[in-house]
Amino acid sequence: MLIQIVKNEWRNLTADRTLWWVTFILVVAIGYGVYNGTSWVHFLERSIEEALQDEHDRLAKAQHTVANGLEPERESRSPYSARYIGRRMGLRYAYLPPGPLASLSVGQSDLYPSYFKVNTQSTQRQKRHSELENPNHLLTSRFDLAFVIVYLFPLLILALSYNLISSEREQGTLAMVLSQPVTLRQFVVSKIGFRALIVSVLVIGLSFLAFLLNGINLFGDGASGQLLRWIAIVLAYSAFWFSLAVAVNALGKNSATNAIILAGMWLLFVVVVPSAVSLVVKNLYPVPTRVEFIVASREASMDARATEARLLSVFYEDHPELLPEGEEADMEEFDTLQWAAEMKVEESLKPVLARYDEQLLKQQGQVNRLRFLSPAIVTQEALNEIAGTGLARYRHFMSGVEAFHQEWRAYFVPKIFDMYEMTGPDFDEIPPYNYVEEPQGRVNRYVRVALVGLILPTLGIFALGLFKLRSYPLTG
Amino acid sequence: MLEAINLSKVYGSGPAALDGLNLRVEPGEIFCLLGANGAGKTTTINLFLNFIEPSGGTAKVKGLDVTQKALETKKYLAYIPEQVMLYRNLSGLENLEYFSSLAGRHYEQSELFGFFEQVGLTTEEATKRVSAYSKGMRQKVGIAIALAKKAEALLLDEPTSGLDPKASNEFSGLLQKMSSEGVAIFMTTHDLFRAKETGTRVGIMKQGRLVDTFDTEGLQLTDLERIYLEHMHD
Amino acid sequence: MIRTIAYKEFLEMVRDGRLQWAAAIVFVLLLTALAVGWSHYQEISAQHELSQKTVRNQWLNQPEQNPHSGAHYGTYAVKPKTFLSSIDTGVEPYVGAAVWLEAHNQNQFEARPAEDATAVQRFGQLTAAVVLQLFLPLLIILVSFSVFAGEREQGTLRQLISLGVQPSHLAAGKALGVAGALGLVLIPAAGIGVVAMTLLTDLAAATADLGRMFLLGVFYLIYFGFFIGISLTVSARARSSRLALVALLGFWIFNGLIAPRVASDLSRMLYPGPSSFEFESGITEAIAHGLDGKSSYRDVERKRRAEVMAQYGVDNARDLPINFAGVRLQMNEDWGYEVFDKFYGDLYANFRRQNRVQQIAAVFAPFLAIRSLSMGLSGTDYYLHQDFAERAEMHRRLEIKIINDDITFKGAEAGREYVNGIDVWEKVPPFEYQVKPVSWVLGNHGLSLVILLLWFAASAGLLCWATGRIEVG
Repeated sequence: MLIQIVKNEWRNLTADRTLWWVTFILVVAIGYGVYNGTSWVHFLERSIEEALQDEHDRLAKAQHTVANGLEPERESRSPYSARYIGRRMGLRYAYLPPGPLASLSVGQSDLYPSYFKVNTQSTQRQKRHSELENPNHLLTSRFDLAFVIVYLFPLLILALSYNLISSEREQGTLAMVLSQPVTLRQFVVSKIGFRALIVSVLVIGLSFLAFLLNGINLFGDGASGQLLRWIAIVLAYSAFWFSLAVAVNALGKNSATNAIILAGMWLLFVVVVPSAVSLVVKNLYPVPTRVEFIVASREASMDARATEARLLSVFYEDHPELLPEGEEADMEEFDTLQWAAEMKVEESLKPVLARYDEQLLKQQGQVNRLRFLSPAIVTQEALNEIAGTGLARYRHFMSGVEAFHQEWRAYFVPKIFDMYEMTGPDFDEIPPYNYVEEPQGRVNRYVRVALVGLILPTLGIFALGLFKLRSYPLTG
Repeated sequence: MLEAINLSKVYGSGPAALDGLNLRVEPGEIFCLLGANGAGKTTTINLFLNFIEPSGGTAKVKGLDVTQKALETKKYLAYIPEQVMLYRNLSGLENLEYFSSLAGRHYEQSELFGFFEQVGLTTEEATKRVSAYSKGMRQKVGIAIALAKKAEALLLDEPTSGLDPKASNEFSGLLQKMSSEGVAIFMTTHDLFRAKETGTRVGIMKQGRLVDTFDTEGLQLTDLERIYLEHMHD
Repeated sequence: MIRTIAYKEFLEMVRDGRLQWAAAIVFVLLLTALAVGWSHYQEISAQHELSQKTVRNQWLNQPEQNPHSGAHYGTYAVKPKTFLSSIDTGVEPYVGAAVWLEAHNQNQFEARPAEDATAVQRFGQLTAAVVLQLFLPLLIILVSFSVFAGEREQGTLRQLISLGVQPSHLAAGKALGVAGALGLVLIPAAGIGVVAMTLLTDLAAATADLGRMFLLGVFYLIYFGFFIGISLTVSARARSSRLALVALLGFWIFNGLIAPRVASDLSRMLYPGPSSFEFESGITEAIAHGLDGKSSYRDVERKRRAEVMAQYGVDNARDLPINFAGVRLQMNEDWGYEVFDKFYGDLYANFRRQNRVQQIAAVFAPFLAIRSLSMGLSGTDYYLHQDFAERAEMHRRLEIKIINDDITFKGAEAGREYVNGIDVWEKVPPFEYQVKPVSWVLGNHGLSLVILLLWFAASAGLLCWATGRIEVG
């Protein structure tokens, strides 16, 4: 890269207003995007905190009641029974804490619930506690930093470079430059390299400033490693668009045509291909509508109930407070029956649920393959992974919830069958929930592959562009 | 200094834009190439600048083949197109600094002003934005670049078209000064008067071929006119 | 004169290679989106219909038991898919398709399709609506940005004006030319799409929607008209065709990508909603301690028991000629209804306020207006979902009342041992959702329509003004 060219470019870019506009837009967009992402993360964290506070208070109260042999607040069968504690009073929340860089990409976190109630009941027909987001907002999706990077950033890059060589030719300065001992290749590389440098510094600098202003902890929990990966993805993505600008310029057309072609490429890669890929995977591996699952699970629970000998117990199962005194003897069978019924339903529904999971996994697998058709998909998915708001981390969370659920049942079910009455110290033994973060290795590997998926086409396009430069029509 | 040996250029399957040009321009010479539009004048210049590839023959600058030693030959050449285009938002000074440094020559500001002085541009004019320059002023910057480059050969394409008589005259003066310092000057033009006034030799190009060359010493304008029109009517 | 100009413009455009490519691409996208949308509609619609029937049968096939158990088992309201959802899926992926109608609880909807999809879907669905709202305007921009500016640069504009052409005729002619070129893409696509979908679908369902389809077509044409006007205006006023293109692309990005997001954020900031936890724990609290936090359901129940006993003149609840359990159950429900009405009411009202903000925001971005109108007419907007939710809830309350009355009046003798079967299940009518009339849709989206029309009028006016003061260069 020739220093003289860089110096001249700096002078030209600062005299021309484009660079100032680009900077201004970046400042506003990045600032707003990071702020938005951070507010959302705070909202999620508060929600989880409220849930955990409730859990803490409830358990403390129950422990207090039991420890001091107090009267129950409501008329219920027994506030001391393991059954009551395990099923209602003591239930815990299994939650997914937002990762340290969650503000950088809202991803799917506004769609999926970030906590689950865990008790002895089956998780299959759990009411999901997703946040109550207005569906119009879910449809629109968020103005977060990922949006700025994936959608707006390329436009700014193209605005700065669409007329890289064509403007020089149209201005007439290209002939002046090339009548000096400078090759076209040197000239182009210097020009684009300089722009790449400025833009990279701007985006990364402004982002870091935004992170600091929004109080994002850049040094906690391995965040610094992820930040480096974030920088790498952003740089790789920008390199793709810069090399595309070079290649299109190398075709030798005029500035207006370049603008149209590059705008078309942006539309193709950022809007059309992702929608098309979404369409393709949905049709390759369609996930059946959950309504079918609802019907199937109702069928199963109906079957289970029908096999119960005592219909009365079904009734009392739902209204234990209505049970008259003196019918303790029934309860043993009642509990066992209920447990058996639940287990039967769960078993019969497992294969049905598995089908949903399977199809979704296949869809994701196909997305992982097809994403290389568009750098926008690669980048968005990578940003989601880094922020911890993608499908993979969510599935990891769900398997953690399952595991905790098993642990919960392992503790409570034997006690329920034994008609066990809880005592004060027992409360300290109730399995606590601890979220275990997924191994970083997976995310790191994913990001590495994404980087390759961005860099390879970039290099190819750049090489193509440089090759095409050899036959650039200097006398236009 | 400048040498064309059987230089040809054909585009596609059409007639030759340039057909077997043989030409030499020695240091100190001012060679003016006359011809109609599309005769091949600009093609010749483009070939010397290696902006296009010859279909046949060779173009040489200081004995070096321009296609083989592209970068080196450009060190010796300076090019002034019909419209000298510079970076509009920069000053004449900044443009001179840029182009001369690309050519490998680095100067102090005072030296750069010196070049401007040589071509008749004041310091004040030199520091103004090029967007405010007249065509004549831009051409002067072009020459300043040639001077700063210490070019040994100068290629000019229709330099005086669009210049008023005074500017035209100034320009001729500059060229003559440079040729007296040993620069080989090759110039294409429509202007018969300028060709006779400025040039030491004149060539006539018709449909890609150099049909006639002769010295201007002792040549009258009317003679030149007659010869030119004769060739054009052939 | 206008026709001459229009025809020449039209010819130029259809001969332009770049435009041919762009038009072909949009055409293919449109047809693909229609085909896929329609097939998806067929499939899911059938699934939903079947599910609704199955759920009804499950309800009817319940064994003899205490009817209240039946109420606990409950039934489901499954949202039917509209024919026009094949064109515009609206918010459907993000709202649940079914809601559990059980005793004691007003539930939220389940089965959100978006949760069973990958993150790529957040880039946007490839529906006909998206193609029409986003890609077609881009085609319009491509076709129009150099109509005036390019002529100026070529020098032909000067000749044209020197002929003494009236500016308004010039404007109209150019606009018609563009519209004609656009028609080459739209008319075949729309024709093929509509005819194919109508023939392949249940004719009755399709023809019922003809009015809506017609209106949809009209509104989209108004939107395109706006874009033609604004593109030609910018082309006329910009200093160069390059600047015209940049300005128009910038507007397109702002209109279609940025404004919707900012409008969402704004509506959220102005009218923030509760967190899921706040909402649910709020309901639980209110049910336990009343809306004022101090009442007790038990007190209410005791009071009522005393009243009823007085009414029938007995001293012991067991001597009542009716089954007090039924009365108690209904009171319990009524208590709950007050709470649900408050909480869900507030939630829905807040969403409506948020959506209002988004409609108003169309003043800055007409995309928001056409999007909301399109969703509304296709029956895939949030207003319809809310209406469905309300109807489902009404059905739930009806179902519960029928059951509780059965227990109260039929179960007097048997008391706790009272069981019933198909007799009571049958009494509950099947859930049917009535299609809303177009006037209802227009009522909800009236503001959007007005704003869209204003944008159209503004663009027409601007175009005339711009051609009047055009610089010939």
